[in-house]
Formats: sequence, C-alpha cells, structure tokens
Amino acid sequence: MKQALVDDTEDVSLDLGNEEELAFRKAKIRHPLATFFHLFFRVSAIVTYVCCDWFSRSFVGCFVTVLLLLSFDFWSVKNVTGRLLVGLRWWNHIDEDGKGRWIFEARKASPQRSVATEAEARIFWLGLVICPLIWTVFFFSTLFSLKLEWLALVTAGISLQAANLYGYILCKMGGERDIGKITASFLSQMVFQTASPRDFQKPGLKGLEIHKH
Amino acid sequence: MRSHIREFDSSTLNESVQNTIMRDLKAVGKKFMHVLYPRKSNTLLRDWDLWGPLILCVTLALMLQRSSVDSEKDGGPQFAEVFVIVWFGAVTITLNSKLLGGNISFFQSLCVLGYCILPLTVAMLVCRLVLLAEQGPINFMVRLFVVIVMFTWSIVASTAFLADSQPPNRKALAIYPVFLFYFVISWMILTFTPQ
Repeated sequence: MKQALVDDTEDVSLDLGNEEELAFRKAKIRHPLATFFHLFFRVSAIVTYVCCDWFSRSFVGCFVTVLLLLSFDFWSVKNVTGRLLVGLRWWNHIDEDGKGRWIFEARKASPQRSVATEAEARIFWLGLVICPLIWTVFFFSTLFSLKLEWLALVTAGISLQAANLYGYILCKMGGERDIGKITASFLSQMVFQTASPRDFQKPGLKGLEIHKH
Repeated sequence: MRSHIREFDSSTLNESVQNTIMRDLKAVGKKFMHVLYPRKSNTLLRDWDLWGPLILCVTLALMLQRSSVDSEKDGGPQFAEVFVIVWFGAVTITLNSKLLGGNISFFQSLCVLGYCILPLTVAMLVCRLVLLAEQGPINFMVRLFVVIVMFTWSIVASTAFLADSQPPNRKALAIYPVFLFYFVISWMILTFTPQ
C-alpha cells in the first residue's frame, strides 16, 4: 500500500534558526514604550488643543501645554522613536568651515534581523503622516473662525510635525530621488497590507509554510 | 543641502534614551554659560539647538503678562504677541544676514539670537521684583539702568558670535537689525506695568 508522500499530518521540519527569525519578525511590537510615546505626545497635543476650553479657561496655560507637548513630541520622534522603530535618523551637522549639511541615515537590514516589524512601521508612518494633516485642518479652521491668537500655536505645530515628516521621508528615500515613485510604492504597500494581511508574504518565505493542524 | 546614506555607527546612534537626554541637557546648559560669559568659541554655533530659545521665550512671555480683571481674556494677546515678535524677528534677522552674504546657517543664527535673550530675561525678572516696591521715579531709574545694562550684554554676546560670519564691509548692515530686535524686547520690558 502506497502511503501518500505528504499527508496533512506530516510535520515539516524547519531550521530552528529560521523559526526563531520568523517568530522574531512576526513579533508585533518590539519596543512597546517607544511606540507608546511616539503616539502619546502627538495625540495629547491634539486632544489638549481641541479640549482646552473644558480643562481651563486660561489661554496661556493651554498654549504653553500644547507647545511643550509639541516640542517633546518633536524631540522624541526625531531622536528616539525613529531609530528604535524604523531604524532611520536625520540631523544637521556643521563642518569645520561652518557649512551646515543635513545627514540622513538608514539602518541596513541584516539577514539575521529585519529593520522593523510591520506593525511598528505602520504605526510609525501613520502617526507621522496623519498628525500634520490634522494640524493643517486646525490651521484653516483657526484662520476662518478668526481666532488669530491661536494661529501662532497651530503654525508651530505644523512646522514641527512637518519637519519630522520631511526628514524621515528623505531618510526613507535614500538614493531614490523620485518622490512620485516612492509615494506610489508606499501607498500601494499600505493598501495591499490592509486588504489582505494574510496573503502578504515576502518571497523568501514561500518554502517555509508551517502546516497547521 | 547635501545628504548621504551610510551605515549606522554604533557610537551615539545606539545609545540609550537616558544618554540622549543627558547629552542634550548638558549641551543646553553649556550654551547658557557661553551667553553669560561671551568668549570667542564655536560651541554656540557648532551644536545648535532651539531648546534654550524656546524656554527663554516662554519664560519671557509668561512674565510679560498683565493680570487683568476679566479672567476670560487673561493676557492672551500679549502672550502670543511676545512669541510672534521673538520668533518672527529672529527669522527676519537671519534672512537679512543670509541675503547680505553671511555664511552662517539658518538654524545657527536662530540659536544664537534666541540664547542671547537670556540677559533680557534676567532683566525682566529683576524688573518684576523691583515693581513690587513703591512706584516712582527712582523705581523707573533702577529699571532703566538694569534694562540698559542687560541690553548691552545681549548685543555684545550676539555680536561676538554673529559678526564673524559676515564679510567685513557688511558687518554694520548685519548687526543693526539685531540692535533693533533687542531694542524692541527691552522696550517691552521697560514699559511693562503689572496692571
């Protein structure tokens, strides 16, 4: 009697190293604290700005609080969460002769570990893109409702958040200069992942499916 | 704006968060020291940061508030006014010096101008304390003296850092907006009354 060469209950033996690598890559969040703080300062700045009339009637208190939250958010996204979550960093360096130049760094993905988990990268980029858009909406609402004393704050918010966004986009672009291509590939990746996360597989994994019982 | 991609070097980029915070705090502290004792050094220019200017601007704006009877409008416009004057003024001076051909970068100039507000912030503090005493001409003379001294200190400090970056025949053209900038701030400080 011929036994089926492969039947459903047969285990597929895997390299232990690859299994670990799979588990590590599939780990949802590697840096929970960094992820939390990445979103905490941005979201609380927006919430404070929107709800400041409920907390206290003081314009100054609200202004200073939101400004401090925006500054902390700028510093932590630029210096901490970028390099922890997605392995990117950018800064300004002054040469000996006084010339300033901007430096953009991206951590190379090694075969042992990938640079970023999908969940962390998604949280990072969504947080980075959505908040400046919200502040832009606030800008127009402030302008048209003529509450001009808030305009200074909203302008500060937009510039700080847009600066981080621009810096990280330039890091991500690397040598690629064509912004259109980068945007198209980024958007298609987001759509593809959202539509069918289970079907999204890196090509190298084709032979390593684990049979489920 | 040149940029290039290279591998992470593990010296500062994989440091712990605490190290990053302490490094930045020490840099801010060192710059405050440099403003208090202005010497020809490159520290203020090389590692620029805008934390000092932010702290000084907020402190100055808080102290320049008038307490009003109506708690609804509690000094809102004056607060935002100080912010706009300081930052917009600093940006304008920077643009001016760049247009005159200075070889200082945008943020370095903002950094120097912001940090050199420190003497005027101290003057504001002193003025508020002096105003707690009895009002009168002596009161005013004391405040005038303090403000003039601190104003001169600010000008000397910022000129020490900024003048070198300008071509020699343009130094006066680049420095007079700085003079105006600190003059406006000193005026706001001197004419401040608590009610």
